Amino acid sequence: MIVVENVTKRYGAFTAVDDVSFTIGPGEIVGFLGPNGAGKSTVLKMLCTWIRPTAGKITIDGHDVVGDPLAVRRSLGYLTEHNALYENMRVDKFLDFVGKLRGLSGKTLNDRRDWVVEQCTLDEVLHKQVQECSKGFRQRIGVAAALIHDPRVILLDEPTHGLDPLQVVAFRDFIRGLSRDRAILFSSHNLAEVATISERLLVINRGQLLEDATLQELGDRAAADGHTLEDTVLEIVRGQGARS
Amino acid sequence: MTKVAQVGLVRGVSAVAGRELGNYFDSKIAYVYTIAFVVLANSIFMNEFFLTGTVDMTGFFDLMPLLLPVFLPAVTMRLWAEERKQRTIEMLLTMPIRPIQAVLGKYVAALALFALFLVGSLPIVFMLSALGEPDLGLIAGGYLGLLGFGAMFLALGMFLSSLSSDQIVAFITTTVVGFVFVLSGNDRVVAVLDGLFPALTLGTRLYESFSVMPHYDAFVRGVVSLPSVLYFGGLSALFLWINATVLERHRA
Repeated sequence: MIVVENVTKRYGAFTAVDDVSFTIGPGEIVGFLGPNGAGKSTVLKMLCTWIRPTAGKITIDGHDVVGDPLAVRRSLGYLTEHNALYENMRVDKFLDFVGKLRGLSGKTLNDRRDWVVEQCTLDEVLHKQVQECSKGFRQRIGVAAALIHDPRVILLDEPTHGLDPLQVVAFRDFIRGLSRDRAILFSSHNLAEVATISERLLVINRGQLLEDATLQELGDRAAADGHTLEDTVLEIVRGQGARS
Repeated sequence: MTKVAQVGLVRGVSAVAGRELGNYFDSKIAYVYTIAFVVLANSIFMNEFFLTGTVDMTGFFDLMPLLLPVFLPAVTMRLWAEERKQRTIEMLLTMPIRPIQAVLGKYVAALALFALFLVGSLPIVFMLSALGEPDLGLIAGGYLGLLGFGAMFLALGMFLSSLSSDQIVAFITTTVVGFVFVLSGNDRVVAVLDGLFPALTLGTRLYESFSVMPHYDAFVRGVVSLPSVLYFGGLSALFLWINATVLERHRA
């Protein structure tokens, strides 16, 4: 569903993403891990068609992000890095607005809005303005907006930012419930959160993909080396770990 | 999976326009701007009306080219600058709509607010009709001219707003460019420019080929000419198209 082939993004002399390739199939929840400025958000911005790759090819649900961006955008739900929302819109009106732009209308729109409101537990803020909502609610509003059209591919940039530990667990269960026939890629710089939610890990630093492995594989490697999972990931990021 | 329809041109435009209009009213911008415009325009007209004592709206229409380059940038300054500053532009432009749909949606909303400004001046027409027999055809021509003037300035303001993430910068640049369009049609400015560049007859050239005033004045005189319609329509379309192009380039 997500196919990234030798993708590079340059800004002048600076290479933000360097020859990155990976594939994510239906049913997979993949964590995109890396320190701040590693290139996670740049990759996600290219996947969602916000910026174009300098080189390489990205296909989302069979559609090329450069050749057919509208089809790509119809296929995916995207939570932006800063989860920017329209501050003075009411939450219900904001979800309706996003639903309409996503091609929903009438009963389908109402049903889908009710579904995301229930799944993201937004009932108590539904008639409030976005600016009146807490950080946790705002994050859930952003996730609800990304899911309202029932997308096949879901991209979430730091989705657990602002959520408390209980909300992270609830979010994990929610995302796992969604994943059966969807491809989900979410970024974080927090290994514990990524390990809680995903089954597979992409580790990126300085624009280069350093690791693409399941948590089971990484766990086995850590156990064999007598390290914790965190130590193993840190070694990978520091360039001390062997590529699998 | 939910069946997701393609977002047609009108549906995308109306969704964006609906949000923008809602924002104008939710944030009280619509009330504040409309009241300020109506009070200012009507009070200045009434002052002129009591001085001249004539039953026509010429004074009102003559005043508008000096008021609108200040009021209309206040409407357009936030349209893209705020989206950039709040970073909502990424969310909006990664929706399955084309940039031109977002541009037209915001434009329709701004035009609707401008139309509300004009509706606020209709009591003048009713008052003049009650006091005498004003030339309603001339008044209708003046309003058409105002619509053309406003449509072009709103498109210009939106385009300039798309170049900045600072609303104040967008406001000032639109006001300055707007006054260049207006003042290049002022007799004194034309004479000064012609005097400074006699070989080029710069003032006359600007008046004839650039300024908004000959076209606006034609409408106010009751002349609805094709060149003036093309001027307002063409420049509006040009600014909207450049605006959409700027947004598309932003993805590079």
